Amino acid sequence: MAEIGKIMIKVPGTIKKGEVIPVKAMIVHPMETGQRKDAKTGNLIPEYYINDVKVYYGNDLVTSMNWGLAVSTNPFITFYLKADKAAPLKMSFKDNKGGAFEQTVQINPQ
Amino acid sequence: MRENIKLSRRGFIKATGAVCTAVLMAGAIPGLLKPVMAEEKAEDIKDTLKKLFGDKKIETGHVDLDVPIIAENGAVVPVTITSNLPMTADDYVKNIYVFSEGNLDPFVAKMSLTSANGKAEIAMRIKMRKTSNVRAVVETSKGNLYQSMKEVKVTVGGCGG
Repeated sequence: MAEIGKIMIKVPGTIKKGEVIPVKAMIVHPMETGQRKDAKTGNLIPEYYINDVKVYYGNDLVTSMNWGLAVSTNPFITFYLKADKAAPLKMSFKDNKGGAFEQTVQINPQ
Repeated sequence: MRENIKLSRRGFIKATGAVCTAVLMAGAIPGLLKPVMAEEKAEDIKDTLKKLFGDKKIETGHVDLDVPIIAENGAVVPVTITSNLPMTADDYVKNIYVFSEGNLDPFVAKMSLTSANGKAEIAMRIKMRKTSNVRAVVETSKGNLYQSMKEVKVTVGGCGG
């Protein structure tokens, strides 16, 4: 599980200025619900999940998300962005154990 | 006195019958035999919605919910929520909520958008404990609420086990 927090963000290769583009993001995370039992010990595995996601485009907070327990393991999310400027797109994820992960991609509309 | 005994005896038999039926039913649904599952109480979706939106009326329309009819694996159910509402600077979809009504906590996620998104669409994968409705609620910047719901049949639950 050394990979927890690894983020992949995918945006289209060529972007026209002002185009609404899909942004696909995946983060490696177990997203434990606290309802699952350890197969060996029989004890419940404690909750461990991402509950806060923020997306910045340049300096603007464009999207924020609150997640509950029922987002699947290794969350994969698609949202849209109006690519009207050349700026970095930063995604930051926080989990309930204080883990914080972020990744940035550059948006360069032609 | 005699009458009382008769009544209580009848009551006893009735109660025993009810317990037997309950046990039989539990036997028929293997999920209920897991003690942890049976003890935990799921929160009612009505209470969840009331906590979030109060008594505000939630209208139908303007929300398109794309979910599978049957999800073989409840741990990974793809959900896409699209709204045809405008995304302009002064009138946009502010929040998209996703609920899975059969989960212990029906709240799945809240996505807060801005006009910079350009389009009110979110795709994600959610966990579903059992066959139930998936519900999406959209809140506009003007405070209007719209919703859409669809049932997803879940073959294997995806929260515990």
